[in-house]
Amino acid sequence: MTSGRATTPVSTEARRPTAIRLVVSVLRRRPPMGSVGLWAVLALLIIAPVTCFLLLAVSPRLLGQGPQYFTLRFIGQAFQGNTGQGIFNSLWVSTTVSVLAVACSTVLAWLVSRTNVYGRRMWTVTMWALLLVPTWMMTLGWTDVLQPFGVSQFLGLNSSYLYGQFFGPTGIIVVLTVAATPFSYFVVSAGLQGLGSEFEDAARIHGASRFLTVRTVLPIIAPALLSAFAISFAETMSDFGVAFTLGYHSHFPLATYTLFSAISNFPANFPVAAVVAVVLIASTVPLILLQSHVMRKRTFAVLSGRTRAPRRRELGPLARVATTAGVVGFFAIALGVPVLGAVIGSFVQNLGIYSSTPVHLTTTYYEQVIHPSIIGKGLGAPLLLSNQLGFIVAGATGLLALVLARRLVQSTGGWSQRITDVFLLGSVAVPGVVLGVGYIFFYNLNFITSHVIDLYKTLPLLALALIATSLPGQTRFMAGPVSQIQPSLGEAARVHGASRFRTWRTTNFPLVSRVLLWGWLLTFTKTISELAIAQVLYPPSQEPASVTIQAYLANNALGTGTAMTVITLVEMFGAIVLALGLYRVVTPRGWRRIGWSEVSG
Amino acid sequence: MSTGEARRAVALSLRQLSKRFSDKTALDSVSFDVEPGTFLVLLGPSGSGKTTLLRCLAGIERPTSGTILIDRRMVAGPDTFVHPEKRRLSMVFQDYALWPHLNVRRNVAFPLARSSRSTTDKRARVEDLLERVGIGHLANRFPNQLSGGEQQRVALARALAADVGLILFDEPLSNLDSDRREQLRIEIATLTREAGATAVYITHDQSEAFGLADVVGVLNHGSLVQFDTPESIYLRPANAFVARFTGVAGEFGVRVIRARGGGRYDVELPFARGQRIEAIALEELELGSTQSLFVRAAGVTLGPTSELCGVTGHVIDVAFTGRGYEHVVRVGPEAQLSKVFSTSRFERTSQVRVSFEVSACLVMRTPTNG
Repeated sequence: MTSGRATTPVSTEARRPTAIRLVVSVLRRRPPMGSVGLWAVLALLIIAPVTCFLLLAVSPRLLGQGPQYFTLRFIGQAFQGNTGQGIFNSLWVSTTVSVLAVACSTVLAWLVSRTNVYGRRMWTVTMWALLLVPTWMMTLGWTDVLQPFGVSQFLGLNSSYLYGQFFGPTGIIVVLTVAATPFSYFVVSAGLQGLGSEFEDAARIHGASRFLTVRTVLPIIAPALLSAFAISFAETMSDFGVAFTLGYHSHFPLATYTLFSAISNFPANFPVAAVVAVVLIASTVPLILLQSHVMRKRTFAVLSGRTRAPRRRELGPLARVATTAGVVGFFAIALGVPVLGAVIGSFVQNLGIYSSTPVHLTTTYYEQVIHPSIIGKGLGAPLLLSNQLGFIVAGATGLLALVLARRLVQSTGGWSQRITDVFLLGSVAVPGVVLGVGYIFFYNLNFITSHVIDLYKTLPLLALALIATSLPGQTRFMAGPVSQIQPSLGEAARVHGASRFRTWRTTNFPLVSRVLLWGWLLTFTKTISELAIAQVLYPPSQEPASVTIQAYLANNALGTGTAMTVITLVEMFGAIVLALGLYRVVTPRGWRRIGWSEVSG
Repeated sequence: MSTGEARRAVALSLRQLSKRFSDKTALDSVSFDVEPGTFLVLLGPSGSGKTTLLRCLAGIERPTSGTILIDRRMVAGPDTFVHPEKRRLSMVFQDYALWPHLNVRRNVAFPLARSSRSTTDKRARVEDLLERVGIGHLANRFPNQLSGGEQQRVALARALAADVGLILFDEPLSNLDSDRREQLRIEIATLTREAGATAVYITHDQSEAFGLADVVGVLNHGSLVQFDTPESIYLRPANAFVARFTGVAGEFGVRVIRARGGGRYDVELPFARGQRIEAIALEELELGSTQSLFVRAAGVTLGPTSELCGVTGHVIDVAFTGRGYEHVVRVGPEAQLSKVFSTSRFERTSQVRVSFEVSACLVMRTPTNG
């Protein structure tokens, strides 16, 4: 009936010497065309522009920018004068902001996830909204509120002291802290979610006081706190919006702005800009690598099927109201004041301008948005252009990020995967302005324009740079959800008769659809409001919305610039609401249930 | 079940199948043949290669060398590799692999997409299967609304829905508690045999293997060390590894004293000098040599010390199992027997008389490894 052989004779393959086996296996292996193609794309998108630009710091001649093959002269130059001051300011401001952001976000995350504070779900949504508002918009909102003849004066409040404080390091730190808090918040929240109540229970049962319990349990989320610090630091160091607006106007130079001015002044000094870029990257890469290393080793070790859901602390009525008021206060300062300030400001006649007539409301600025009278450019065309860029950039980034995320979470753990991991971590630390200037430099090299591709001063180049700047973060964003898809789900589909395409369409795609949509929306909205790369790379007469708004503000047309900002903001959030609504209507019920669990065991 | 369905069962043939991952050999020249309708269980510890073998059969892994024939059609071999969806088989995964965005009905209906049945037939088949596995009332639920046992039933229904000649089972009961495991084991055995398909089931649990199998293949370090009926594997294990893995109460070094003929020998127990017992050897042994004695728990009897035959032992632990008691008995300074069953309870530290049935005592050459 059934026959079997328990003997295990040595196969011909196994008898071959190791070296021959290796050669045979290499020859048998198909050339990894996918990997080669992917790395070629990444090289053109990120590696080559950034590397060439950074090389200028020590070897200008290698890239035709000076007589020296090797020099340290520009390093000396970069650490002097305004540029040196910018580097110094960026380092201490980023450190301060990171500490404050981690503190704020830890308190907020704890209140939202571990107490019965009112409106917990709403605060998480508000945190997402805060994440989407760019720093230059926040600065504009605060300026509208605080400046003489601004919104506060319209409301009968004297804000001259706060105005003086705002245009200086204090204002810069406040805006950057608010901007860094969401990044930190989501990391700390994830850490707190993994911290099941059994750890607290174990400490309390074994006699620990409330204080000792906190001291015992807190180190478990230390990796998450370190991670939050690293991300806040990287985001603050690389911020351009505040440096370009608040930093510039308050004569408080920050490194990203000094880098920008090194190439925008005449004559452009690319080597000094390159040194600043090296400092920006070198100050964040070690932190990012460290947090990644620590996170991999520790934080998620506490996440297991056995981890009990965290227990919420029931606050008394008074404490509950007080803590809710605290949370409301934070979001009022972070989001409410600047957004409402900008909205009200966009309707205040003669905003920021001395006028003998009493202050009153007007719709003039919105009319000027449509029929521009100052610099001859309305918002329609730039906003349309920003939307077109947003569509293309978000789509391309989503596809590339998905491919990279899958590669990142593969269980094989080969060298390619490890290099992808390190590359993406390093790329997160590359500020947009560095990438933008790298693009200007690299895609204007004679060799590239003559022999590879001539994209200098074109929209495709701007689009490529925007894809490059979104890609690392987007990949990280997708890697988590993609890693949670068990390979067996796809295998089950294949075994039960589904082709590769049907497997992807019916099993993998529905599972990643929500994260794909969110990733797309994040990139889309960030692209619409992006300033650093747009400011550096926009082609002549094709300014995106953010650049057009800055042009109005630079021409003392604060009211029109504010109205444009409000319209852009409304469009960004409108797109999110519309897309999420459509997703809800169009997708089957099961697609929206993923991640829910109502019954266990 | 019906003759029509039984015809669907397929033969399976593996020849010199090997699979290497970098420098690790997961499968080493495994060969066997399985006739249509057979329930084959591959038994082995973690890392023995059983999952790799199953994944090679499914087409999820590509073998490094060797051939696989399903229904006399080569699906893996030199220059041949048939993708999973073309092999016409189905599989129950260890983690169930239910698609979380599809409800129970749609999960079960998934494999029917490749069937030529009418929509009405397909619907009826799904409803029938859901009823047969006892989850008809859960058809509109999503997987994360089900318990582990219910999820496993969905996975089983999905595998049966495929209506194919070969069903693969990847340790499907390992995530369940003991009660549900036993219940589902019976359902798997019954429903698979009713379907008339050939089954390949992998497990590391010997009792599960013996409870399900027509034929058992024992794997160790990627090699197939024995391939036989459950009875043969239990009574005539190929080597010490198989003996140990299929359950022994104790293992001692013994001296071979006398050959009785017919593969039977008298051996002397070192911890009870002068005491001899009769044991079965599956190979020729030298008289006077020291060899290993493997004792199956089923052939060990406990009695009061007043009994004349047997060796003296001390009870060091006793556990109530419902139908009786399982004892751990020390019979010598470094020799103890575990899982020794008795309907009577012998208290801890008490002295007992331990006697051995010849069929439960296997003497083998002392292994050098493994």
